[in-house]
Amino acid sequence: MEAVRAVGISKRFGDGDGAVFALRDVNLAVESGSVVALLGPSGSGKSTLVKALGLVQLPDEGDIHLQGRLVVSGGEALVDVGRLWRTQLGFVFQKANLVSFLTARENVEAACEMGGERDDVRGRADELLRYLEVDHRANAYPEALSGGEQQRVAIARALANRPSLVLADEPTAALDSRRGRAVMELFRRVAHEQGAAVLVVTHDHRALDVFDGCFEMEDGTLRPATRTSSASR
Amino acid sequence: MNLAVRDLRRHVGRFMATAAGLGLLLAVVISMQGIYAGMVDDATILTRAVGADLWLVQRGTRGPFAEASRVDPSVEDRAAAVPGVVRARSYTFNALQRDRNGAPLRLALVGLAWPDDRGDGLPLIAGRGLVQPHGEVVVDASLGIAIGETLVFAREPYRVVGLTRNALTSGGDAVAFLSLSDSQLIANDLPPEAVQTERVRFVERLRTTDLGRAQPALEDLALDPRWRAPALPMPPVGAVLVNVAAGQDVATVRRVFERWGDVAVFSQDEERDLVLQGLVQRARMQLGMFSVILTLTAAVIIAMVLYNMTLEKTHDIAVLKLMGTPARRLVFLVLQQAWLLGAVAYGVAFVIGRTLYPHFPRRVVLTPELLWAAPVAVLVLTTLASVLGVVHALRVDASRVLEG
Repeated sequence: MEAVRAVGISKRFGDGDGAVFALRDVNLAVESGSVVALLGPSGSGKSTLVKALGLVQLPDEGDIHLQGRLVVSGGEALVDVGRLWRTQLGFVFQKANLVSFLTARENVEAACEMGGERDDVRGRADELLRYLEVDHRANAYPEALSGGEQQRVAIARALANRPSLVLADEPTAALDSRRGRAVMELFRRVAHEQGAAVLVVTHDHRALDVFDGCFEMEDGTLRPATRTSSASR
Repeated sequence: MNLAVRDLRRHVGRFMATAAGLGLLLAVVISMQGIYAGMVDDATILTRAVGADLWLVQRGTRGPFAEASRVDPSVEDRAAAVPGVVRARSYTFNALQRDRNGAPLRLALVGLAWPDDRGDGLPLIAGRGLVQPHGEVVVDASLGIAIGETLVFAREPYRVVGLTRNALTSGGDAVAFLSLSDSQLIANDLPPEAVQTERVRFVERLRTTDLGRAQPALEDLALDPRWRAPALPMPPVGAVLVNVAAGQDVATVRRVFERWGDVAVFSQDEERDLVLQGLVQRARMQLGMFSVILTLTAAVIIAMVLYNMTLEKTHDIAVLKLMGTPARRLVFLVLQQAWLLGAVAYGVAFVIGRTLYPHFPRRVVLTPELLWAAPVAVLVLTTLASVLGVVHALRVDASRVLEG
């Protein structure tokens, strides 16, 4: 089943001659349980695409389907975006972006609550932290966690609401190569074991073997990329 | 999960310090109201304490507190003879300042109509009322004078036999209760030199009259310190207090006095209003304006504190939004912190008030109305002050989280 399908989405910044097309008629589908990489140079429109798929910044044109349901049509949201964030989407960012005044466990608990988890919120949070092997840091505040630990907690938080789609925008940019690869492998595990579709924006070509598929963006257009061609860049 | 409490827990030291600062500010605002309430209570306690139905004062004046009033002592007997009157008492009120142990001692002397009024109705907290018409005084405990100590007025000793609580003038000075004759003696006291000068002037005036020239022996009498001319009037009193018999119509009795040409009549409430409007009005407005300015200052400070607290959380709020946190939960995050801040600040103000206000030079009265109105006002104030923070929280763009 397709976790997400984007049809003909476009996004333009500015007007007239100075207008910049960040997305040009982009079509994309990601299956549930797969982990897909989104490659491309800076300014190619990767983050804009992630924002559009996450309904953080709606496209000017085009449709977006989540789990087969039309949620954006002609650039207009057809659903309660906040509810969608709570229940179907998970975000992981370049920085972990944990809520600074919540402990690692509370960050995950908060996401569980938002996602509608009613029973044993703490149990679910602990389970995710164990799954991501960071449960020993459950009571630590974000500032006391290492970059890798923060990122693992962020992934745990992104999974807390049992999302159908996880959007990760350069999640390994702040990590060394060893930890970066570990995070990518974690995404693969998440996709395969939890059944979520994971779309990862990355510049790191060394870990492309982890992904089930790769797309490449350039000047706002999207095309499939082979691991070999991408890796050779 | 309560996000407001979680956030405050992370910065509890700073939060408590901020709340303590606001508490001090609130304590000042509350003290302003308390000082005003104390001033009103001080100003009216004397009128309440005597328990008169009607006050007879000098015609054309609004005495005895608002201005000097001179009523002939005969008014007391005349008033007592009016049908429906059960009791009439003379009343004097004089302010004086003396030195005691090198410090100024400000007092208001109130004369009690001995033997009818011995001070039994006074708010005594220790000792007793007067049991003799001369040489005894009941003072307010705020003077710090103990029972048995002696005060010297008009070169004569007065022993303190009783202590009252909160028997003060509108100016906050303590009141001393003593017999009417003693209060008049003290009020009309003159230095020996002045008495001698007056006697010489009396003799000189006598010599210019036919009586003086016909009766030279009168000069000896005039110079004799033990002699007092029987024709000279008794010193006037400040007011005559009238109580109407139970079942009698006060208005009917009042109409009788209103026909008298030498007195003006005021009811107990009118006398109270005269004191408040005449003596306390400006101070009331002054304190009111201070209170408004301080309240606005507190509101601005609370608003800035809350706004800054929210501003510091901008990124966290953006993250929370991207997690799908409903807007109402973010609003409550700011509001609950505002209310908690207000609650702690009010608690600090309350403790400061209970601890420090009793040591203020002017009485600070925390009325029950003030004690329930203050937290409600703090609630309203903090709610209004949180508007900026709430608006900011709602305007935070979740997409900024994705901007690295």
